[in-house]
Order: sequence, then C-alpha cells, then structure tokens
Amino acid sequence: MAELALRVRGLRKRYPKVLAVDDVDLDVARGEVFGLLGPNGAGKTTTLEIVEGLTPADAGEVQVLGLDLEKHGREIRSRFGVQLQSTSLYNKVTPREALELYGSYYPKRRPTAELLDLIQLADKADAYHVTLSGGQQQRLAIGLALVNDPELVFLDEPTTGLDPQARRSLWEIVRRMKAEGRTVILTTHYMEEAEALCDRLAIMDHGRILTVGTPPGLVQELRIPSVVELAFDGIAPEATSFARRLGHPVEVRGGLWEIPSQDPKTLLPQLLDAAEAENVPFQQIHMRRATLEDVFLQRTGRSLRE
Amino acid sequence: MIGTFDMLRRQFVMEWKLYSRDRAAMFWTFFFPILLLLGFGVIFRSGSGPALTLVVVSAPEGGSPDAGLEAALEHGPLKLMKLSAADAEARWRKGETAAQLDFPSGTPRLRVNSYLTAQGGAAAQVVQQAYLIAQAKSRGSEPSLIPIVMESPGHTRSATYAAFLLPGLLGLNLLTMGLFSVGMVTVSYREKGKFRRLAVTPLPKWVFLGGQVLHRLTIVVIQSTMLLLVGFFGFGIRNQGSFASLAFVMTLGTACFMAMGFALSSFAETTEAYAAISNLCFFPMMLLSGVYFTLDAAPRWLQTAVIALPLSPFVKALRAVFNDGAGLGEHTFGLLLVALWTLAAFSFAVKRFRWS
Repeated sequence: MAELALRVRGLRKRYPKVLAVDDVDLDVARGEVFGLLGPNGAGKTTTLEIVEGLTPADAGEVQVLGLDLEKHGREIRSRFGVQLQSTSLYNKVTPREALELYGSYYPKRRPTAELLDLIQLADKADAYHVTLSGGQQQRLAIGLALVNDPELVFLDEPTTGLDPQARRSLWEIVRRMKAEGRTVILTTHYMEEAEALCDRLAIMDHGRILTVGTPPGLVQELRIPSVVELAFDGIAPEATSFARRLGHPVEVRGGLWEIPSQDPKTLLPQLLDAAEAENVPFQQIHMRRATLEDVFLQRTGRSLRE
Repeated sequence: MIGTFDMLRRQFVMEWKLYSRDRAAMFWTFFFPILLLLGFGVIFRSGSGPALTLVVVSAPEGGSPDAGLEAALEHGPLKLMKLSAADAEARWRKGETAAQLDFPSGTPRLRVNSYLTAQGGAAAQVVQQAYLIAQAKSRGSEPSLIPIVMESPGHTRSATYAAFLLPGLLGLNLLTMGLFSVGMVTVSYREKGKFRRLAVTPLPKWVFLGGQVLHRLTIVVIQSTMLLLVGFFGFGIRNQGSFASLAFVMTLGTACFMAMGFALSSFAETTEAYAAISNLCFFPMMLLSGVYFTLDAAPRWLQTAVIALPLSPFVKALRAVFNDGAGLGEHTFGLLLVALWTLAAFSFAVKRFRWS
C-alpha cells in the first residue's frame, strides 16, 4: 500500500470545559478527497488544527505525508497547504501581492499568474482585499493554500457563509486539486458538499468519529433507501398518534414529517389512509432517496443542521 | 527557496507598502507631532504670547478713581479692558474674566477667578506691583525692579518653549509607537488569526516579527528627523549635545517602548481590552512624565512615583542631551532606569508572548 497522506492514531484533546477530540483514528490515502462531516462543535476543526501543528494534542500519534509531525514540522509545513476557517489578511493588500508574499515563504512555488487563473481572480489581481466579495476572499484564501504546489491541502469549512453560486465555484477548484493529484482533507457541516466532493468521509460528533466510508456506502449501510416527507404550511404538528396508527417512526423537523422506509411502495397507501383518518392538514407529499443527513440523524438522533 | 535575509527584506518592504496605503496612520504618525510642535511652539513663543487681560471697572462718571495706579498699569505687560460696572459684571458671570480690578468704595480691589488661578494670579501679581510703584511714585521716590533674564536651565543659550517641547515630543512618539503600533498590532494579529496563518507556513516567526520591528524602526528615524528639521527651520532649535549621545538615548528609548508594547500585548485577548490597558499606561505617562510641562510644582510623592515610569527619566535625559548639551555620564541613574525597564519588559515579553 502506498504511503498514507495522513495517519492519526488515538488522538485526544481536552479543553477546560470539553473533550474536543476523543480517541480519533484516521487514515487518508494519497490522492483522495477526504471529508470530516459533523455539526458545529463536533471537533472537526480541533482535529485539523492538531494535524496542521497549530494545537498540541494531549495524546496520540500523527504522521503527515509519512513524516512524524513533531520531528519534521518545518518540512511538513513546506509540503502542505492550509486554509484556516478565518484567514485574516491586511485590508489593503491585493491578491497578487498576497500570493507573491506567501509564495516567498516556500522552497517550491507555483507561478502567481497560474494561481490567479485557478482561483478565478485574474481580473481582481490588483484590487484591495477589502473590496473583494466573500466568495472572492475565500478563493484567495484557498489560492494561498496552493502557493507551494502542496501534496496535501487542508480546507477548514471552505464554503461556510457563501452563496450557492460561490460555493459551486469553490467545489470546482477542489475538483481541480484532486485532478492534479493532490490529497484534500476538508471539514464541512453541509452534507451536500460532503456528498458532492468527498471520496470518503468520516462523520464526527462530540469529538468522536462515528463512522467512515464513501458517501454512497454510508447511505447504503442505513438500509433505508427512501424517505417520505409530508410538508406543512408553517410548523409541522405533533405526530405521536399518527405514528401509532401508521406503525412507523415519524421525525418532526421544522415544517416536515419524515418517515424513513425500506419499502416506500407499500408505505405510501398506508400513509395516505392514516393521514385521512387522523385528518392531517399536510400540503404536499415528497419521496426522496436517503442522504448523509439521514445517516447522521440515525447515528446521533439529531439533525446536522441543529 | 529564497534566503532568510531576502525573506526579511520582502517582509519589510511589504510592511512599508501596506503602511503607505493607510493615510490615517501616516497622518497621526508623521504630521500630528509636527503640528503639535508648530502649534504650541507658536502659541507659547517667548515674549509674544497672548497678553493677560485685566478687566478694569471704570467709575460711573468716567475717569479713574486711582489715576496713578492706572498710569502704572498702562506701561505694564497686561492688556487692559475698561468696562462699565454692568458690562464687567456680565463678563465675570460668563466666566471669561480671569482677573478684574474694581473700586467698590473708591479703593482698589482685585477679583481673581478661582477657575483660572494661573492667569488670574499672574495678573494680580502684576497689579500689586503696579500699585506699589504708584504708591512710591506718589511719595516722590523712583522705585526700581530686579532685572529678569530668560535662560534654559543648565545652559547659557536662551531657549523657547518649542525647544523644551521638542525632546518631549520625540519621547512621546516612541511611547505611541511602542504601545500602539507594536502592542495594538500584535494583539490584532493574534485576535484575527494572522499569526496562526503564518504558523502553518515554513516562515520562521522571527522573520515576520523582525520585518515588523525594522519597519517601526525606520518610522522612528523618519519621524524624529522630520521633527528635528521642523524644529531647526521653524524655531532655530538645534541639538546642543553630541549626535552620538542623542542617538544612544533614542535607541535605548525605542528598545524600551517596543519591548513594553510586546509585553503589554500579552495581557489582552482582544483589541478592545488592549485599548483599555494601553490607555491606562499611556495617559499617566503622557501627562505626568514632563512631556508638555515640568512637574516641579507637583507634590513630592508624585514626582517620585513618576520617576519609576520610564518615559520620565527618558525625556529628562533626552532633554539634557538635546537642550543642555549634557554628556551621558550626567544621567546615568535615569538611563539605567530606562535600561532596567527595557530588560524587564523584554524578558517578560519573551516569556509571555503568545501566537494564538
């Protein structure tokens, strides 16, 4: 087996009030896009900070690109690229200047013009950082993570706070990274993002890794291919008596009732009967494939978005 | 890979480039001290300062109840403002009058505004003197006054307030640079995660800090040179001591206040908290360390307390070198105090400095 891009064993980190990382093991192969998916406070960022060398762990072993993190920090830093959750740049620095300056810190560097093209900022190359949109600033942050032509790239919540269009253009950049043969490790709390980008992902909650697998594999493990949703006008009503009549568990979430099912064809008529008998005032009915969201829900009893 | 020296140079050039785009910072750093020097220097130009005004209440029927006294005052340094009793009372009530001479029952009386004791008191002294002269003259004798010579302390060359102020402003610049440009910037970089971003690159941290320090040093040099030039061309102020001594004292001060900025930055998590902490240090030093005026009239305990703050011995030594041409040996104690502060702040900063 080829050398791993990241190997983590028994990682543990306690902050005064919380056990942020609890016995985490990870293996990320070279060339993979690997995702850490979980809600805010799950320990994703702390895990990344430890493997990036920013935060010391209380216990555990970390090997990055086959090198021991503690012994070869400087070499590792020159071979990986990092985008932190908040990248603070000077207000009045231009993308070109920032890329040049950060590039000068590394032994190996990519040409600035090439990077500007990659992050689609060629036409904003000489505009001040403050004048860039959120998506442009984020693309610059990612460009800075690529100045040294890194073998491994860490992206911490790269699309948080961006509009859908900006998010998609960032996804494109991540796919380019993969096509160029880089290993990408990213955190996200958007399941669509994990599904769209990641070859494999680990679902994290309360500092622990709950499960690791490919996105389709994780959904298949659920053995619940479909979810039927009843949509209400406004907040969905309480569902206890309906669920009893139906003989199926019902999740109430916002304006929806969700009923996971292995056999939607049989469920659907039963469901309509029960709804009529209980006089349920739903507006619409949908059927959808199960997603990572349902995987998370089943594993933790909570929604990712909560 | 470019060499470490080259990295440092790039860091330094970048600092300057970014700094030059910050107009407000440039103004406060370079032009504000010059404006202060020009402003105060002109206002308090010896001999031509604004004259003290004395309100003189005229008798209702016109003329003066004490012609001798008024004649003596006419030739004195006070600007006389003759008002009717009603006008004088109105002006007094508005609080504009510092001192007023009236004749309630034919005999002179002085009213001094208790809010403006400095001007009012000085004016009153002049009136007292004029009164004595007038009385002596009425008895037929010709009184004479003790001559006054204006001289800067410790030196034969007469010096203006601008000359007194200039070394104080040089010192104040260093304090501002240390507490705000160094300390505040460090806190904000830490708060915004700039240091963390650098920590995941192979750049040695000292190169980054080195670039910052070099940038601040060049600012100090430019700022001081500009002030000295304005002092020389605007007020004819020149360095009376040796330039080597001046450079030595300035270097020591720069090191001291930069180290203080780094040390203070470790006390605050946020820029807001740092603003409070640094002002707590800045204002007592600025007001009590003899930058704008000497503390000779202040209570003994206060003078002793201020000596412990580094700005006070620093400004004293700088002023002695610059205005009085003193050698470094004459201010060993003060310079030693500054050096001690530097050492303490520096070791504290090294020990407590945090990147995140």
